[in-house]
Amino acid sequence: MRRVALLVLGLAVAATALDAQQSIAARLSGRASPEIVALVQELGSSAASRGLPIDPLIQKAIEGNAKGVPSERVATAVRLVYAQLDTAAAALRSAGPNTPPDSVEIAAGGFAITAGLRGRDIAELARTGRPAADVTVGLRVAGTLAALGVPPADAVTLVSASLRAGQAPGDLLALPGRVQSEMARGATPAQAAAGLARAAAAQARHGPPPDRGPPPHPPHPPAPPHP
Amino acid sequence: MTKREFDPQVKQLLDGELTLADLPAELRQEGEEALRLLAAVDREPVSLPAVTWRVMATLERRRQRRLTWLLAPALAAAAALALWLGRPANPPAVASSAMVTVRFVLVAPGAHQVSVAGTFNRWDPAATPLVRSGSADMWVATLSLPPGQHQYAFVVDGVRWVPDPTAPAIDDGFGRRNSVLTL
Repeated sequence: MRRVALLVLGLAVAATALDAQQSIAARLSGRASPEIVALVQELGSSAASRGLPIDPLIQKAIEGNAKGVPSERVATAVRLVYAQLDTAAAALRSAGPNTPPDSVEIAAGGFAITAGLRGRDIAELARTGRPAADVTVGLRVAGTLAALGVPPADAVTLVSASLRAGQAPGDLLALPGRVQSEMARGATPAQAAAGLARAAAAQARHGPPPDRGPPPHPPHPPAPPHP
Repeated sequence: MTKREFDPQVKQLLDGELTLADLPAELRQEGEEALRLLAAVDREPVSLPAVTWRVMATLERRRQRRLTWLLAPALAAAAALALWLGRPANPPAVASSAMVTVRFVLVAPGAHQVSVAGTFNRWDPAATPLVRSGSADMWVATLSLPPGQHQYAFVVDGVRWVPDPTAPAIDDGFGRRNSVLTL
């Protein structure tokens, strides 16, 4: 019985790897050099077996080709994306061993690392105890804040406080636009984030105001691509 | 209509060579104002019914079904077990209940052709051209995108990759910057 189970499990892994290989070859057809296709297939198989998403690897290969980047440099960038996903996955697992992170959450963590966050920042956001979907949004928003120039530690403080305050994903998504508004008024990115973090921490301690009235910001960020 | 001379750094912002974050604090308000003047269009994302997204999700499910029929029954059982274990290799993107409509705007003086390429169109510079709108230098495109995180850049005259001057940007790994759109 055990042998049968192992055989079925082995076949499952083989089928998964085969599916990943075919998917990668099809998606990169005409959009990457043969050596890059081979590299992404190799890394994609490894990623699939470790529960990492393969889409960011494919996207980076396609992007490099579209931008006319030499293959060697594309290969370096694809390997870097793999390493960032691996770091993000390890950080998420270290923070919450109960449920393994899904590929969407890991991809969000990989983006956050690209934007300047570190593994421990990812773990801190994951430890807020919020559902995985909210943590995923939090990781994207923290990365976006870092991309705006907010120091990564400050971005994590702000998003973490907002998550702990129970803010809805729509409120989290509005944070980059709010930071941009403060920057337009002359605040530095760090000052803008610090002010919002203080407000979120106060909300976490005392709860939202009894009569909030209409939300001050739309459910989706008004800023990108234009404020 | 009055003409106004902007600071050279603000002009660089309009050219896409700088982002708002790159401007000194004292010029950010002027930069914001310049962008507002030149891109006087409604940029508020609007939630729409997710017809397209649902169609894509259905197609993805059908593709997976076809793959299952092509494989031997043992592999199908194994794949089912793998799914049951909850660790799919590359699950389809989570279908959301709404698409978000986003308007991309670039002020590109002297450009003959502008497009936007990103993770949402497989970085294809030919897939999403912008059209001239209002001012001769202003280029606009409107897209419906799924919620999530997207990276993109404008492509000017088919060769010059330019980050969105008003959006957050990250290193693209190739020595350039990608703009970030989080919906």
